[in-house]
Amino acid sequence: MKWIDRNNLPEELKNLPDSSFESLHQEDIKDEKFQTKPVGFFRDAMIRLSKSKVSMISVSCIVLIIILALLVPNITGYSFTEQNLGNKNLPPKIQGLEKLGIADGTRVLENRKKDALSDPDRYPEGSVLEILREFDSKGVAMVDVKVDYYKYVGAEDNRYHWFGTDYLGRDLLTRLFQGTRISLMIAFFSVLTNCFIGVIYGAISGYYGGKVDMILTHVAEVLDGMPYIVVTILFMILFGSGMVSIVLALTITGWIGTSRLIRSQFYRFKGREYVLAARTLGVPDLTLIFRHILPNCVGPLITRVMIAIPGAIFSESFLAYLGLGIKAPNPSIGVLLADGQKVLLQYPYQTLFPAVLISLLMIAFNLFSNGLRDALDPTKRGEE
Amino acid sequence: MAAETKKQEREVVLSVKDLKVNFRAYGGLVQAVRGISFDLHRGETLAIVGESGSGKSVSIKAIMGILANNAIIESGEILYDGKDLTKVKEDDFHEIRGKRIGLIFQDPLSALNPIMKIGRQITETLRLNQKMSKEDAKKRALELMTAVGIPEPEKRYDQYPFQFSGGMRQRIVIAIALAGDPEILICDEPTTALDVTVQAKILELINQIKKDRNLSVIFITHDLGVVANMADRVNVMYAGKVVETGSAEEIFFEPAHPYTWALLSSMPDLHTKERLMAIPGTPPNMIYPPKGDAFAPRSEFAMRIDYEQEPPMFKITDTHAAATWLLHPKAAQNGIEMPAVLKARIERMKRSGAVNG
Amino acid sequence: MKYVLQRIGAMLLTLFLVMTLSFMVIRLMPMSLFENPEVPKEIQEKLEDKFHLNDPLPLQYYYFMEGIVTDLDFGISVKLRPGLEVFDIIVTRLPPTMLINFLSLFISIPLGLIFGTIAALKRNTVVDHVISVFVILFISIPSFVFASLLQYLFTFVWPLFPTLYESTAVTVGQMMHSLVLPIVALSLGPIATLTRYLRGELIENISSEYLLLARTKGLTKTQSIVRHAFRNSMMPITNTLVSLITGIMGGSLVVENMFAVPGTGGLLTKSIFAGDHFLTVAILIFYSAISLVTILVVDLCYGLIDPRVRVGGGK
Repeated sequence: MKWIDRNNLPEELKNLPDSSFESLHQEDIKDEKFQTKPVGFFRDAMIRLSKSKVSMISVSCIVLIIILALLVPNITGYSFTEQNLGNKNLPPKIQGLEKLGIADGTRVLENRKKDALSDPDRYPEGSVLEILREFDSKGVAMVDVKVDYYKYVGAEDNRYHWFGTDYLGRDLLTRLFQGTRISLMIAFFSVLTNCFIGVIYGAISGYYGGKVDMILTHVAEVLDGMPYIVVTILFMILFGSGMVSIVLALTITGWIGTSRLIRSQFYRFKGREYVLAARTLGVPDLTLIFRHILPNCVGPLITRVMIAIPGAIFSESFLAYLGLGIKAPNPSIGVLLADGQKVLLQYPYQTLFPAVLISLLMIAFNLFSNGLRDALDPTKRGEE
Repeated sequence: MAAETKKQEREVVLSVKDLKVNFRAYGGLVQAVRGISFDLHRGETLAIVGESGSGKSVSIKAIMGILANNAIIESGEILYDGKDLTKVKEDDFHEIRGKRIGLIFQDPLSALNPIMKIGRQITETLRLNQKMSKEDAKKRALELMTAVGIPEPEKRYDQYPFQFSGGMRQRIVIAIALAGDPEILICDEPTTALDVTVQAKILELINQIKKDRNLSVIFITHDLGVVANMADRVNVMYAGKVVETGSAEEIFFEPAHPYTWALLSSMPDLHTKERLMAIPGTPPNMIYPPKGDAFAPRSEFAMRIDYEQEPPMFKITDTHAAATWLLHPKAAQNGIEMPAVLKARIERMKRSGAVNG
Repeated sequence: MKYVLQRIGAMLLTLFLVMTLSFMVIRLMPMSLFENPEVPKEIQEKLEDKFHLNDPLPLQYYYFMEGIVTDLDFGISVKLRPGLEVFDIIVTRLPPTMLINFLSLFISIPLGLIFGTIAALKRNTVVDHVISVFVILFISIPSFVFASLLQYLFTFVWPLFPTLYESTAVTVGQMMHSLVLPIVALSLGPIATLTRYLRGELIENISSEYLLLARTKGLTKTQSIVRHAFRNSMMPITNTLVSLITGIMGGSLVVENMFAVPGTGGLLTKSIFAGDHFLTVAILIFYSAISLVTILVVDLCYGLIDPRVRVGGGK
């Protein structure tokens, strides 16, 4: 910028009106007022969260699945335990969609004797839809034939199984969402117990510090050292299968992470002036812990809970694969997956639906907890 | 102040011309630097003073070519050694960094790689890009460590940063900056993160090194007090612009811009009995920089024109100029003067000879 | 040295706890094996002898531990291979499991590092976003779901690989042909975990002050990233390795069974279903030992690399 000589002003500056140079006596200059109302930490975090599209989509996805889990088993008209051996392994059939050729309850039967097609006992009226391939095997005429499987097994005309049935003829739609209900309950309760134990343990450890802390930390460390899977399996064998034992088995080592988090938060906050001030005023320990320090842990704790839920869902399915899942006839997503896996190549739909559901749940929870973490910790924004 | 008359003949080593830097941010384009110009002469210390967000750090990052990815150099040039640094490609910039222009950071605690021996951190560039032999590089590193005042350099050479105190780490950072034997040294608030007792020693060291090696120094700070003993010339920055420039003596003894007045008044010293003046208000939002004089809303001397038209740089002496309408002849009629408190303070400073000259 | 001893001590203590828990499983199970009428008479006698069932419980505990420590005596299979030494069964089953686990690990590490680096360097570009999408998919979806998907697609729809492990496989090549799908299924998650982790670390390091210093002192961008950011990012990754290893080993328990791989994973599933507890427990102790040793090695390596641990002193 060129420097202006004050004794030799350029025209445009010389002719500025005198009024321009009137002093505006600003007696009282205040710090800029905020236009908006003050926003609390959690409100702020929620606002940030609601601005994240991914988080909103995932949370809607979670809510939708929860609603379905609560609703579907009651309105399908089938019970999740109702067996119907005549109608086993039925493919999906959905009203409306059947006309489009998807989920129309048809199956291709391979290597069937051609002669049998005309036998109404084996192929009831109208069950054979299309002969896909005719061939000869050792002098016998064989066919691959597309049948209306519902008619083929002699099911009533108005019978619809949206997701098909399993090897005992149970409706898979009902079972899938009943299973979701159970899996979510297991996840919820195990995370709840983890938090409960973890918070108390961590709070004691962090608040009292010193020897108490040292001993508690060492105990937790030793427990944590044991391979998670091994401990869980051993406990499941000990407790026997069932929902309560799964929750317990997931708790055995699951609480340690929470307690560690709470402990470090306590270490951060117990030395703060406001806590010291409250202490000198004679506020009892419990009040200090619960009213003054613990509220600071809520943010990280929520994030942790959201990360722990998909972990618990995963562990439950994992145990189901090992035959340590929930007791029959109760389904869980894991049990359905493990059952479906056994007939994967013959009836892929039995694996498909639980697989899609567990994937959706896991993705939604992971994305949501990412979003939540970013919202609660704005400094981490944009990372990961 | 004999230096002042010589200044015109002094060689300009680095020249910043009308530099504008913007940042893409969530809310819009942040105009961090809005057209600053200054020259750095050989052998002088130029201080750039301003509060955080005034654009001083951004300017030197532009000089070093280490602006963040979301920064855009909108216009202007940075002339050094016949080249415009704003146009130098990243692939060639390492030829300038370290070797020609060295930088000392604000926070020595995080500026050193925590898992690399400090000896290696000093010699790294020498070995890699200047192809020095291992022995020569080590010899040079030990010399540098001695020069920056690290006791037992032989032993310290193989230690890790966490084994050093804050002040010692800053000395290492200085040694690293000097390793490439640069002719310009940029110090970005080099003492802000340090204890007050250590601060003085580091400042002394920088002064010493500057004299020994005939360096040209750009010294960034928000603390005018630090500048008093260091700088030959001072640029005061506010809201991305240089609002006042002059020799150290001029800035301290004859400040002309209300912002400089405010800065000087807010400086703590032993004699001031009155309440320390804080600068009222908050710096402007640089996404929507104010029209006119950016400091006007915080200035008790604001005039109507300050809200209407941007003040030009009014020349006070050959080396001293300030961007404030108060220097317009018509404003003189209002009889505005610097606050009495400040006047008294300046008188004291003059007597004690606290300013570099 | 003190650090090394500490780590080894901690590992032994953990192993001891796992064995104690195992003993509890064997002895305290409702419907104990020792009274199970399905178990043949001669085996029951053998067991009674071996476990000193007539001695008090603490002494039994002692014999149990002593047997494992001195003779690697984990007991006898009761249901799956009645009468056979559990240890011998496991040893014959180890090779495919080791192959699967180590190959998965050795595939995951370089791929995870490569993708993580690419994502960090191309931060906020299309490449980064695409990688992020895959990362969230692979981290979220469990390995056994991938295993089902791969099995259906590549053994049924496009029969490129055998659905189940080919028991006639003798050469490593033949074994590998059967193991490709389980290995891929097990690697996807770890690759994603590592990618995400390295990306985060690298980005943090690249935007760090010391990297800025490395650049201002005259290193090129590549030099500073490779010599400083990358090196420093590798440091905390050792922690991720531990979770990768346990993750792969756990997944392998299920996935092996899905592909009928004759490894210890499949054996574990079968033994749990059959209630062959000696076998189950022995496999679990094996798993613990292997994973604990691996973690120990990782920990010690970490100690060797990080001067803050090696030289001592705080961070």
